[in-house]
Amino acid sequence: MKRLKASKISVALLWLFCWSFYSTDAQAFEDYPGFSPLSNIVQFKAQFKEASAKIQSVKSEFIQEKTLFALTENITSQGKFWFKRTNKVRLDYTTPFTYRMIINGDKVLVKDDHKENRINVRSNKLFQQINKIMLDCIQGTILDSKDFTSRVFENEKGYLLELSPVNKSLKDFFRNIVLVIEKKDYSVRSMSLNEPSGDKTVITFTNKSLNTQLQDEIFTF
Amino acid sequence: MKFLLFSTSILALSCAAPYKALKSVPVDQTCVDKFRPQGIATSWYSAGVDVVGKHLSGLLLIKQMPDESQRVVFTSETGVTFFDFEFKAGTFQVKQAIPQLRRKVVINTLRKDFETLLAIPFQQQTIDASVLGDESFYGVTTIGEERAFFVTDDACSVLKRVEVGSKKPLFSIVSSGASPREPETIAIQHHTFNMVINLKKITRHVTE
Repeated sequence: MKRLKASKISVALLWLFCWSFYSTDAQAFEDYPGFSPLSNIVQFKAQFKEASAKIQSVKSEFIQEKTLFALTENITSQGKFWFKRTNKVRLDYTTPFTYRMIINGDKVLVKDDHKENRINVRSNKLFQQINKIMLDCIQGTILDSKDFTSRVFENEKGYLLELSPVNKSLKDFFRNIVLVIEKKDYSVRSMSLNEPSGDKTVITFTNKSLNTQLQDEIFTF
Repeated sequence: MKFLLFSTSILALSCAAPYKALKSVPVDQTCVDKFRPQGIATSWYSAGVDVVGKHLSGLLLIKQMPDESQRVVFTSETGVTFFDFEFKAGTFQVKQAIPQLRRKVVINTLRKDFETLLAIPFQQQTIDASVLGDESFYGVTTIGEERAFFVTDDACSVLKRVEVGSKKPLFSIVSSGASPREPETIAIQHHTFNMVINLKKITRHVTE
Protein backbone atom coordinates (compact mmCIF):
# COMPACT_ATOMS: atom_id res chain seq x y z
CA MET A 1 0.00 0.00 0.00
CA LYS A 2 2.86 2.32 0.90
CA ARG A 3 4.50 1.59 -2.44
CA LEU A 4 1.27 2.37 -4.28
CA LYS A 5 0.94 5.66 -2.48
CA ALA A 6 4.56 6.35 -3.23
CA SER A 7 3.97 5.72 -6.90
CA LYS A 8 1.16 8.24 -6.93
CA ILE A 9 3.27 10.83 -5.22
CA SER A 10 6.13 10.04 -7.54
CA VAL A 11 3.91 11.05 -10.45
CA ALA A 12 3.17 14.33 -8.74
CA LEU A 13 6.82 14.91 -8.09
CA LEU A 14 7.54 14.17 -11.71
CA TRP A 15 5.13 16.97 -12.48
CA LEU A 16 7.36 19.15 -10.40
CA PHE A 17 10.66 18.18 -11.89
CA CYS A 18 9.32 18.47 -15.40
CA TRP A 19 9.65 22.21 -14.92
CA SER A 20 13.44 21.95 -15.02
CA PHE A 21 15.21 19.43 -17.25
CA TYR A 22 17.45 18.14 -20.10
CA SER A 23 19.65 15.48 -21.89
CA THR A 24 21.01 14.09 -25.16
CA ASP A 25 21.51 11.64 -28.05
CA ALA A 26 20.26 11.64 -31.63
CA GLN A 27 18.54 8.67 -33.20
CA ALA A 28 15.13 7.20 -33.94
CA PHE A 29 13.50 10.61 -34.19
CA GLU A 30 10.87 8.90 -36.29
CA ASP A 31 9.23 8.30 -32.94
CA TYR A 32 8.40 11.97 -32.78
CA PRO A 33 7.11 13.30 -36.11
CA GLY A 34 7.90 16.96 -36.62
CA PHE A 35 10.88 16.84 -34.29
CA SER A 36 14.51 16.32 -35.23
CA PRO A 37 17.49 15.50 -33.02
CA LEU A 38 18.95 18.50 -31.30
CA SER A 39 22.30 19.48 -32.76
CA ASN A 40 23.80 21.44 -29.89
CA ILE A 41 23.10 19.60 -26.68
CA VAL A 42 25.71 21.47 -24.67
CA GLN A 43 24.17 24.81 -25.51
CA PHE A 44 20.68 23.53 -24.75
CA LYS A 45 21.84 22.17 -21.44
CA ALA A 46 23.25 25.53 -20.43
CA GLN A 47 20.20 27.46 -21.60
CA PHE A 48 17.84 25.08 -19.92
CA LYS A 49 19.70 25.23 -16.64
CA GLU A 50 19.72 29.00 -16.75
CA ALA A 51 16.05 29.27 -17.69
CA SER A 52 14.90 26.76 -15.06
CA ALA A 53 16.77 28.69 -12.40
CA LYS A 54 14.68 31.72 -13.26
CA ILE A 55 11.35 29.96 -12.75
CA GLN A 56 10.32 30.80 -9.19
CA SER A 57 6.68 29.88 -9.51
CA VAL A 58 4.15 28.39 -11.91
CA LYS A 59 0.41 28.64 -11.93
CA SER A 60 -1.40 26.70 -14.60
CA GLU A 61 -4.47 24.78 -15.61
CA PHE A 62 -4.17 21.34 -17.10
CA ILE A 63 -6.04 18.76 -19.12
CA GLN A 64 -5.12 15.14 -18.52
CA GLU A 65 -6.06 12.36 -20.91
CA LYS A 66 -5.51 8.78 -19.86
CA THR A 67 -5.61 6.26 -22.70
CA LEU A 68 -6.00 2.55 -22.07
CA PHE A 69 -4.59 1.28 -25.31
CA ALA A 70 -5.92 -2.30 -25.35
CA LEU A 71 -9.35 -1.27 -24.17
CA THR A 72 -9.77 1.67 -26.58
CA GLU A 73 -10.87 3.67 -23.59
CA ASN A 74 -10.04 7.22 -22.57
CA ILE A 75 -10.81 9.39 -19.62
CA THR A 76 -10.19 13.12 -19.60
CA SER A 77 -9.79 15.11 -16.43
CA GLN A 78 -8.99 18.73 -15.70
CA GLY A 79 -7.54 20.72 -12.89
CA LYS A 80 -5.14 23.32 -11.60
CA PHE A 81 -1.43 23.19 -10.85
CA TRP A 82 0.80 25.38 -8.69
CA PHE A 83 4.54 25.24 -8.13
CA LYS A 84 6.64 27.45 -5.90
CA ARG A 85 10.38 27.12 -5.67
CA THR A 86 11.93 25.18 -4.21
CA ASN A 87 9.74 22.39 -3.01
CA LYS A 88 6.08 23.30 -3.02
CA VAL A 89 3.57 21.71 -5.40
CA ARG A 90 -0.17 21.57 -5.47
CA LEU A 91 -2.41 19.62 -7.84
CA ASP A 92 -6.18 20.02 -7.80
CA TYR A 93 -8.23 17.77 -10.07
CA THR A 94 -11.59 19.43 -10.38
CA THR A 95 -13.46 17.40 -12.96
CA PRO A 96 -14.82 14.73 -13.46
CA PHE A 97 -13.58 13.81 -9.97
CA THR A 98 -11.98 15.78 -7.17
CA TYR A 99 -8.50 14.98 -5.96
CA ARG A 100 -5.93 17.18 -4.25
CA MET A 101 -2.25 16.61 -3.62
CA ILE A 102 -0.06 19.15 -1.87
CA ILE A 103 3.65 18.63 -1.45
CA ASN A 104 5.36 21.02 0.94
CA GLY A 105 8.91 19.98 1.64
CA ASP A 106 8.87 16.58 3.29
CA LYS A 107 5.16 16.68 3.95
CA VAL A 108 2.44 15.49 1.59
CA LEU A 109 -1.34 15.87 1.78
CA VAL A 110 -3.57 13.67 -0.34
CA LYS A 111 -7.29 14.31 -0.34
CA ASP A 112 -9.54 12.20 -2.54
CA ASP A 113 -13.27 11.67 -2.83
CA HIS A 114 -13.19 9.33 0.11
CA LYS A 115 -10.51 10.40 2.58
CA GLU A 116 -7.65 12.72 3.54
CA ASN A 117 -4.12 11.46 4.22
CA ARG A 118 -0.96 13.15 5.50
CA ILE A 119 2.33 11.52 4.69
CA ASN A 120 5.93 12.23 5.59
CA VAL A 121 8.23 11.70 2.63
CA ARG A 122 11.05 10.68 4.96
CA SER A 123 9.09 7.60 6.02
CA ASN A 124 9.46 5.90 2.66
CA LYS A 125 12.55 4.99 0.67
CA LEU A 126 10.84 5.50 -2.67
CA PHE A 127 9.65 8.94 -1.57
CA GLN A 128 13.21 9.81 -0.71
CA GLN A 129 14.42 8.62 -4.07
CA ILE A 130 11.81 10.69 -5.88
CA ASN A 131 12.58 13.64 -3.66
CA LYS A 132 16.22 13.40 -4.73
CA ILE A 133 15.19 13.36 -8.39
CA MET A 134 13.02 16.40 -7.76
CA LEU A 135 15.83 18.34 -6.15
CA ASP A 136 18.25 17.29 -8.90
CA CYS A 137 15.81 18.71 -11.40
CA ILE A 138 15.23 21.96 -9.60
CA GLN A 139 18.91 22.49 -9.17
CA GLY A 140 19.59 21.60 -12.78
CA THR A 141 21.70 18.59 -11.84
CA ILE A 142 19.17 16.14 -13.26
CA LEU A 143 21.14 16.38 -16.47
CA ASP A 144 23.83 14.38 -14.79
CA SER A 145 21.39 12.03 -13.07
CA LYS A 146 21.95 8.31 -13.35
CA ASP A 147 18.22 7.70 -12.86
CA PHE A 148 17.37 8.37 -16.52
CA THR A 149 18.78 8.04 -19.97
CA SER A 150 17.52 10.72 -22.25
CA ARG A 151 17.24 12.03 -25.78
CA VAL A 152 16.44 15.55 -26.91
CA PHE A 153 14.71 16.69 -30.08
CA GLU A 154 13.49 20.04 -31.34
CA ASN A 155 11.20 21.72 -33.78
CA GLU A 156 10.51 25.36 -34.50
CA LYS A 157 8.54 26.00 -31.33
CA GLY A 158 9.79 23.57 -28.76
CA TYR A 159 12.09 20.94 -27.40
CA LEU A 160 11.08 17.33 -26.81
CA LEU A 161 12.80 15.46 -24.01
CA GLU A 162 12.45 11.70 -23.83
CA LEU A 163 13.44 10.37 -20.42
CA SER A 164 13.78 6.63 -19.88
CA PRO A 165 14.10 5.45 -16.29
CA VAL A 166 17.04 3.28 -15.40
CA ASN A 167 15.91 2.55 -11.87
CA LYS A 168 13.68 -0.53 -11.56
CA SER A 169 11.15 1.04 -9.23
CA LEU A 170 10.44 3.77 -11.79
CA LYS A 171 10.70 1.32 -14.69
CA ASP A 172 7.82 -0.67 -13.22
CA PHE A 173 5.58 2.31 -13.84
CA PHE A 174 7.01 4.09 -16.88
CA ARG A 175 8.56 3.03 -20.17
CA ASN A 176 9.49 6.65 -20.61
CA ILE A 177 8.37 10.17 -19.90
CA VAL A 178 8.17 12.65 -22.74
CA LEU A 179 8.20 16.37 -22.08
CA VAL A 180 7.53 19.04 -24.66
CA ILE A 181 9.02 22.38 -23.65
CA GLU A 182 8.32 25.80 -25.13
CA LYS A 183 11.31 27.47 -26.72
CA LYS A 184 10.03 30.91 -25.83
CA ASP A 185 10.18 30.50 -22.05
CA TYR A 186 11.28 26.92 -21.39
CA SER A 187 7.98 26.14 -19.70
CA VAL A 188 6.38 22.73 -20.12
CA ARG A 189 3.70 22.49 -22.78
CA SER A 190 2.87 18.82 -22.21
CA MET A 191 4.03 15.74 -20.43
CA SER A 192 3.37 12.17 -21.54
CA LEU A 193 3.72 9.32 -19.06
CA ASN A 194 4.14 6.20 -21.16
CA GLU A 195 3.66 2.89 -19.41
CA PRO A 196 5.21 -0.47 -20.24
CA SER A 197 1.79 -1.80 -21.34
CA GLY A 198 1.32 0.89 -23.98
CA ASP A 199 -1.14 2.83 -21.84
CA LYS A 200 -0.34 6.50 -21.53
CA THR A 201 -1.32 9.67 -19.76
CA VAL A 202 -0.86 12.99 -21.51
CA ILE A 203 -1.06 16.17 -19.48
CA THR A 204 -1.30 19.44 -21.36
CA PHE A 205 -0.74 22.69 -19.51
CA THR A 206 -2.79 25.74 -20.42
CA ASN A 207 -3.13 29.31 -19.17
CA LYS A 208 0.33 29.23 -17.64
CA SER A 209 1.59 32.10 -15.48
CA LEU A 210 5.26 32.04 -14.61
CA ASN A 211 6.81 33.88 -11.69
CA THR A 212 3.65 35.38 -10.32
CA GLN A 213 3.27 35.92 -6.59
CA LEU A 214 1.95 32.69 -5.00
CA GLN A 215 1.00 32.84 -1.33
CA ASP A 216 2.44 30.12 0.90
CA GLU A 217 -1.12 29.45 2.07
CA ILE A 218 -1.79 27.68 -1.22
CA PHE A 219 0.57 24.95 -0.06
CA THR A 220 -0.38 24.95 3.61
CA PHE A 221 -2.24 22.08 5.24
CA MET B 1 -22.21 9.81 1.25
CA LYS B 2 -19.23 8.22 2.96
CA PHE B 3 -21.31 7.86 6.10
CA LEU B 4 -24.13 6.27 4.13
CA LEU B 5 -21.77 3.74 2.55
CA PHE B 6 -20.20 3.00 5.90
CA SER B 7 -23.57 2.62 7.56
CA THR B 8 -24.94 0.32 4.89
CA SER B 9 -21.79 -1.77 5.11
CA ILE B 10 -22.09 -2.06 8.87
CA LEU B 11 -25.78 -2.84 8.46
CA ALA B 12 -24.93 -5.58 5.99
CA LEU B 13 -22.43 -6.97 8.45
CA SER B 14 -24.79 -6.86 11.37
CA CYS B 15 -27.51 -8.54 9.31
CA ALA B 16 -25.18 -11.32 8.23
CA ALA B 17 -26.17 -14.30 10.33
CA PRO B 18 -24.46 -17.69 10.02
CA TYR B 19 -25.76 -19.67 7.08
CA LYS B 20 -26.40 -22.71 9.27
CA ALA B 21 -29.66 -21.12 10.33
CA LEU B 22 -30.90 -20.64 6.77
CA LYS B 23 -34.22 -22.40 6.15
CA SER B 24 -34.77 -23.77 2.66
CA VAL B 25 -37.88 -22.57 0.82
CA PRO B 26 -39.25 -22.90 -2.74
CA VAL B 27 -37.70 -20.52 -5.25
CA ASP B 28 -39.79 -17.47 -6.09
CA GLN B 29 -38.93 -17.22 -9.79
CA THR B 30 -40.49 -13.78 -10.08
CA CYS B 31 -38.12 -12.51 -7.40
CA VAL B 32 -35.18 -14.21 -9.08
CA ASP B 33 -36.04 -12.60 -12.41
CA LYS B 34 -36.45 -9.24 -10.71
CA PHE B 35 -33.26 -9.13 -8.66
CA ARG B 36 -30.78 -11.66 -10.06
CA PRO B 37 -27.61 -9.54 -10.37
CA GLN B 38 -26.79 -8.62 -13.97
CA GLY B 39 -23.32 -7.15 -13.49
CA ILE B 40 -22.15 -3.65 -14.27
CA ALA B 41 -22.28 -1.76 -17.56
CA THR B 42 -19.14 0.00 -18.82
CA SER B 43 -18.45 2.71 -16.25
CA TRP B 44 -15.73 4.68 -14.51
CA TYR B 45 -15.74 4.97 -10.75
CA SER B 46 -13.75 6.96 -8.28
CA ALA B 47 -12.42 4.32 -5.90
CA GLY B 48 -11.30 4.36 -2.29
CA VAL B 49 -9.74 1.25 -0.81
CA ASP B 50 -9.25 0.92 2.93
CA VAL B 51 -7.33 -2.12 3.99
CA VAL B 52 -5.91 -2.82 7.45
CA GLY B 53 -5.67 0.86 8.30
CA LYS B 54 -4.19 2.00 4.98
CA HIS B 55 -6.04 4.05 2.39
CA LEU B 56 -5.57 4.14 -1.34
CA SER B 57 -7.63 5.92 -3.95
CA GLY B 58 -7.84 5.89 -7.72
CA LEU B 59 -10.11 5.35 -10.67
CA LEU B 60 -11.75 2.05 -11.50
CA LEU B 61 -12.93 1.19 -14.99
CA ILE B 62 -15.37 -1.63 -15.61
CA LYS B 63 -15.51 -2.31 -19.33
CA GLN B 64 -17.69 -4.64 -21.38
CA MET B 65 -15.58 -5.71 -24.35
CA PRO B 66 -16.87 -6.53 -27.86
CA ASP B 67 -15.75 -10.17 -27.44
CA GLU B 68 -18.04 -10.41 -24.38
CA SER B 69 -15.15 -10.45 -21.97
CA GLN B 70 -15.12 -7.97 -19.10
CA ARG B 71 -12.18 -5.92 -17.90
CA VAL B 72 -11.60 -4.28 -14.53
CA VAL B 73 -8.82 -1.71 -14.51
CA PHE B 74 -7.59 0.31 -11.53
CA THR B 75 -5.44 3.39 -12.08
CA SER B 76 -4.21 6.23 -9.94
CA GLU B 77 -5.83 9.64 -10.42
CA THR B 78 -2.57 10.82 -11.93
CA GLY B 79 -2.63 8.07 -14.52
CA VAL B 80 -0.59 5.04 -13.49
CA THR B 81 -2.29 1.67 -14.11
CA PHE B 82 -2.16 -0.54 -11.03
CA PHE B 83 -3.96 -3.60 -12.35
CA ASP B 84 -5.96 -4.82 -15.31
CA PHE B 85 -8.04 -8.01 -14.91
CA GLU B 86 -9.87 -9.89 -17.64
CA PHE B 87 -12.90 -12.10 -17.00
CA LYS B 88 -13.77 -14.14 -20.05
CA ALA B 89 -16.02 -17.19 -20.45
CA GLY B 90 -15.26 -18.58 -17.01
CA THR B 91 -11.57 -17.74 -17.14
CA PHE B 92 -9.61 -15.09 -15.30
CA GLN B 93 -6.40 -13.45 -16.42
CA VAL B 94 -4.22 -10.78 -14.91
CA LYS B 95 -3.41 -8.70 -17.96
CA GLN B 96 -1.30 -6.33 -15.93
CA ALA B 97 -0.41 -5.71 -12.29
CA ILE B 98 2.33 -3.70 -10.72
CA PRO B 99 4.84 -5.81 -8.76
CA GLN B 100 3.47 -4.69 -5.39
CA LEU B 101 0.12 -6.33 -6.23
CA ARG B 102 1.44 -9.53 -7.76
CA ARG B 103 0.74 -11.66 -4.70
CA LYS B 104 -1.61 -14.62 -4.78
CA VAL B 105 -3.64 -13.57 -1.76
CA VAL B 106 -4.15 -10.04 -3.13
CA ILE B 107 -5.05 -11.18 -6.62
CA ASN B 108 -7.45 -13.86 -5.35
CA THR B 109 -9.20 -11.43 -3.03
CA LEU B 110 -9.66 -8.85 -5.76
CA ARG B 111 -10.66 -11.52 -8.27
CA LYS B 112 -13.49 -12.76 -6.03
CA ASP B 113 -14.64 -9.23 -5.26
CA PHE B 114 -14.92 -8.18 -8.88
CA GLU B 115 -16.16 -11.55 -10.13
CA THR B 116 -19.07 -11.16 -7.75
CA LEU B 117 -19.59 -7.51 -8.63
CA LEU B 118 -19.75 -8.54 -12.28
CA ALA B 119 -22.38 -11.14 -11.25
CA ILE B 120 -20.43 -13.97 -12.86
CA PRO B 121 -21.51 -16.56 -10.23
CA PHE B 122 -25.14 -15.70 -10.92
CA GLN B 123 -24.91 -16.53 -14.60
CA GLN B 124 -25.58 -20.19 -13.74
CA GLN B 125 -29.21 -21.20 -13.82
CA THR B 126 -29.44 -23.30 -10.65
CA ILE B 127 -30.51 -21.03 -7.86
CA ASP B 128 -31.92 -22.13 -4.53
CA ALA B 129 -33.78 -20.09 -1.98
CA SER B 130 -33.82 -19.89 1.78
CA VAL B 131 -34.95 -17.48 4.44
CA LEU B 132 -33.50 -16.11 7.62
CA GLY B 133 -35.43 -13.66 9.72
CA ASP B 134 -37.01 -11.14 7.39
CA GLU B 135 -34.57 -11.77 4.56
CA SER B 136 -34.64 -14.09 1.55
CA PHE B 137 -31.36 -15.57 0.31
CA TYR B 138 -31.08 -16.66 -3.32
CA GLY B 139 -27.91 -18.68 -3.64
CA VAL B 140 -25.59 -20.40 -6.07
CA THR B 141 -22.57 -22.54 -5.31
CA THR B 142 -19.28 -21.07 -6.45
CA ILE B 143 -16.21 -23.04 -5.33
CA GLY B 144 -16.35 -25.92 -2.83
CA GLU B 145 -18.62 -24.89 0.03
CA GLU B 146 -18.49 -21.25 -0.93
CA ARG B 147 -21.76 -19.72 -1.98
CA ALA B 148 -22.89 -16.44 -3.52
CA PHE B 149 -26.24 -14.98 -2.53
CA PHE B 150 -28.35 -12.05 -3.45
CA VAL B 151 -30.44 -11.04 -0.48
CA THR B 152 -33.85 -9.40 -0.62
CA ASP B 153 -36.40 -8.42 1.99
CA ASP B 154 -39.08 -11.03 2.67
CA ALA B 155 -41.57 -9.28 0.37
CA CYS B 156 -39.04 -9.21 -2.47
CA SER B 157 -39.46 -5.46 -2.81
CA VAL B 158 -35.81 -4.51 -2.52
CA LEU B 159 -32.38 -6.01 -3.18
CA LYS B 160 -30.53 -5.53 0.07
CA ARG B 161 -27.08 -6.85 -0.84
CA VAL B 162 -25.02 -9.45 -2.60
CA GLU B 163 -23.02 -11.68 -0.30
CA VAL B 164 -20.38 -14.38 -0.58
CA GLY B 165 -19.56 -16.84 2.18
CA SER B 166 -19.16 -20.44 3.19
CA LYS B 167 -20.21 -21.08 6.77
CA LYS B 168 -20.36 -17.36 7.41
CA PRO B 169 -20.24 -14.26 5.23
CA LEU B 170 -16.87 -13.40 3.70
CA PHE B 171 -17.87 -10.17 2.01
CA SER B 172 -20.95 -8.19 1.01
CA ILE B 173 -21.67 -5.79 -1.82
CA VAL B 174 -24.17 -2.98 -1.31
CA SER B 175 -25.13 -0.73 -4.23
CA SER B 176 -27.24 2.38 -4.60
CA GLY B 177 -28.76 4.14 -7.57
CA ALA B 178 -31.70 3.89 -9.92
CA SER B 179 -30.17 1.46 -12.40
CA PRO B 180 -28.87 -1.88 -11.08
CA ARG B 181 -26.34 -2.16 -13.93
CA GLU B 182 -25.14 1.40 -13.44
CA PRO B 183 -25.09 1.96 -9.69
CA GLU B 184 -24.11 5.37 -8.39
CA THR B 185 -22.25 3.93 -5.41
CA ILE B 186 -20.93 0.49 -4.56
CA ALA B 187 -19.43 -0.68 -1.26
CA ILE B 188 -17.58 -3.99 -1.05
CA GLN B 189 -17.16 -4.82 2.63
CA HIS B 190 -15.04 -7.73 3.81
CA HIS B 191 -16.07 -9.40 7.05
CA THR B 192 -13.11 -11.64 7.87
CA PHE B 193 -10.50 -8.89 7.71
CA ASN B 194 -10.56 -5.12 7.64
CA MET B 195 -11.05 -4.14 4.02
CA VAL B 196 -13.62 -2.04 2.22
CA ILE B 197 -13.75 -0.80 -1.36
CA ASN B 198 -15.95 2.23 -1.97
CA LEU B 199 -16.85 3.19 -5.52
CA LYS B 200 -18.56 6.37 -6.67
CA LYS B 201 -19.66 6.71 -10.29
CA ILE B 202 -17.92 9.29 -12.45
CA THR B 203 -19.71 11.18 -15.16
CA ARG B 204 -16.85 11.54 -17.55
CA HIS B 205 -15.96 13.62 -20.54
CA VAL B 206 -16.60 11.14 -23.33
CA THR B 207 -13.69 10.88 -25.74
CA GLU B 208 -14.02 7.23 -26.82
